[in-house]
Amino acid sequence: MKQLQKLKPASWDHRDSASNHLNTGFNFARKWKLIVLFTSFMALLPLFVMSLVEFGLTHRTIEDEVKSSISKLLNAAIVSISFSKDPGKTAMDYITLINSGEDNDIFVVNEDGTLLTTSFYYGNTGTPNAVNTSLFKEKAGIEKDLTPDKKPVMAGYARIPDSSLFFVLAKSEKGLIDLWFKPRFKLIGYLAVSIVLILLSIMGMATYLVGRIHSADRKRSEALHHAEHEKKLASIGRLASGVAHEINNPLAIINQKTGLIMDLFTLREDFSSDKRLISLAKDVLDTVKRCSTITQRLLDFARHMEPSIEPVDIWEVVKQVLAFLEKEADRRRITISIDNKDTIPNFECDKGSLQQIFLNLIENAFTAMEDGGQLSISIRLKKRDQISIMVSDNGRGIADEDIDKIFEPFYSSKNDHWGSGLGLSIIYGLIKEIGGDITVKSRLGKGSCFTVILPLKNSEASDGTK
Amino acid sequence: MQKQNAILTAAIKPSKNDAMETQVYHQLNMSEKCNVEVPSKILLVDDEKEFVQTLSERLRMRDMGTAVVYDGNSALAQIQRDEPEVMIIDLKMPGIDGMELLKQVKQTCPRIQVIVMTGHGSEQDKKKCMDLGAFSYMQKPVDINLLSESLKKAYKKIKAVE
Ligand SMILES: Nc1ncnc2c1ncn2[C@@H]1O[C@H](COP(=O)(O)OP(=O)(O)OP(=O)(O)O)[C@@H](O)[C@H]1O
Ligand SMILES: [Mg+2]
Repeated sequence: MKQLQKLKPASWDHRDSASNHLNTGFNFARKWKLIVLFTSFMALLPLFVMSLVEFGLTHRTIEDEVKSSISKLLNAAIVSISFSKDPGKTAMDYITLINSGEDNDIFVVNEDGTLLTTSFYYGNTGTPNAVNTSLFKEKAGIEKDLTPDKKPVMAGYARIPDSSLFFVLAKSEKGLIDLWFKPRFKLIGYLAVSIVLILLSIMGMATYLVGRIHSADRKRSEALHHAEHEKKLASIGRLASGVAHEINNPLAIINQKTGLIMDLFTLREDFSSDKRLISLAKDVLDTVKRCSTITQRLLDFARHMEPSIEPVDIWEVVKQVLAFLEKEADRRRITISIDNKDTIPNFECDKGSLQQIFLNLIENAFTAMEDGGQLSISIRLKKRDQISIMVSDNGRGIADEDIDKIFEPFYSSKNDHWGSGLGLSIIYGLIKEIGGDITVKSRLGKGSCFTVILPLKNSEASDGTK
Repeated sequence: MQKQNAILTAAIKPSKNDAMETQVYHQLNMSEKCNVEVPSKILLVDDEKEFVQTLSERLRMRDMGTAVVYDGNSALAQIQRDEPEVMIIDLKMPGIDGMELLKQVKQTCPRIQVIVMTGHGSEQDKKKCMDLGAFSYMQKPVDINLLSESLKKAYKKIKAVE
């Protein structure tokens, strides 16, 4: 059963997710069935046709042979009877000589069809109307007939000269088929085996091909999905910077007006005694500051600035960022393990961007973990001038339906309100600018792993910036 | 007492002076001697009227003399009439934009110190402005104390040159 399972394409069980999630609109199970049916049909058809033709041919030859042997026997009987002095005895001798029951059922019948000797197929001596007399059209011949038990037989007949009696020799038709079948038994065995082999290989091929199509299809729609996601983020970035610009102006007005109110209060005695009014105005100013932090970060997200590119030692950057977060890690008893087996050469990159990337990823991991959590950072050298940076934690993880959203600005599950939801979107922008990529794998309740791929040679990095 | 009064009138009816503002660098405490540390002729250029008027008023409260215009052309005209010591200009304006204005000002009167103030905080713009000779580049919404500091520094620079 397990072997059979192998023949079943993997796409079979995958149908649901393939058609729902990736929206391919392609029923792989049906395609597979169609291919298997069609190829099997085309491959087996000639086999069957050949067998049938051969069967027909042999059948006819055997039939002819049987017929000729029947008529030879009958002729011989008639000839010897007509030359015999005692025809009755000769006939009886003949009957006892040839009659062997099933294979050669020879008997004598009168023209009414009444049996004069015992027949294997038609009954005992004296049975009236045992043989249909319409059979005897001529003096001699061979016809197909049905016995009283409805068995198909080949019946040869010959009129005994100078009498109204007939010699009848009946052979069962089943015997004929057996005659064809028996020598071909082995051949038919080979045929069956080869049919099974052909079917298996067709199924295997179909499984393989459909599997390939399926995986190619999946890759394609994943790529499409990815591209769509990227386009969306890019347009969100443009929108965000536009919004930030527009909001900065009214914010500046609020800022100045409130500042003026503050100035007036502090300069005029009757107001300056009112501490509440001043603190209210201060609150407004603080809020303006908060808003401007957000707009500033939004602009960072969409910024198109020339990064100051210099050769950087990436572990140095990691160390700096970790030094910055050391206190919190200590306080929360978070262990940080570092995998620095690979030596990473210094490469051209904007140090500030790298710092931002690490800071945000590690901060997020800290937020996701309980006290006493485990954070690991590894940087690996990959082929083709790339490094992959992995920051993984054993925190609460991200639900599947949220994974696409986390790189969008303002998506946050944090409850506090300080500029939340921009961290990942900013570093996404930075990584794209550098010419890298960021992916995330996560399991709810188990932890998350962010992987950043960066090019070691900063080839097309500055393409995005004029 | 006189100073207080002046502040009050200005605070309550600031719009009364609007028409004249483009003509003269106003100062609230006219009666007193000019503060030696702050510029007495500041030209503010910004199409955001509410913003620039309030800012000018607050600067005046800090003993500076200010004038306000709302676009690049009137700024150039104002410079012809009476050359300011320091200019505060916005980058995005209808007509001549801030960058262009900065270029022209620096070509015709390089003595004028220009502070660029904008809601568009891209590093590229900043670099461009600094290359064009701006004194400093500030992101809106700006803290008045920071701006005052910057103005004082600009003034010091002018005095040092003279
Ligand atoms: N390591 C992680 N484990 C679990 N969830 C994460 C992890 N990293 C990010 N997330 C999810 O992605 C969301 C967005 O992260 P992002 O850094 O963009 O914003 P934030 O951390 O909420 O706010 P900010 O970084 O602006 O202070 C987070 O609120 C959190 O839900
Ligand atoms: Mg974050």
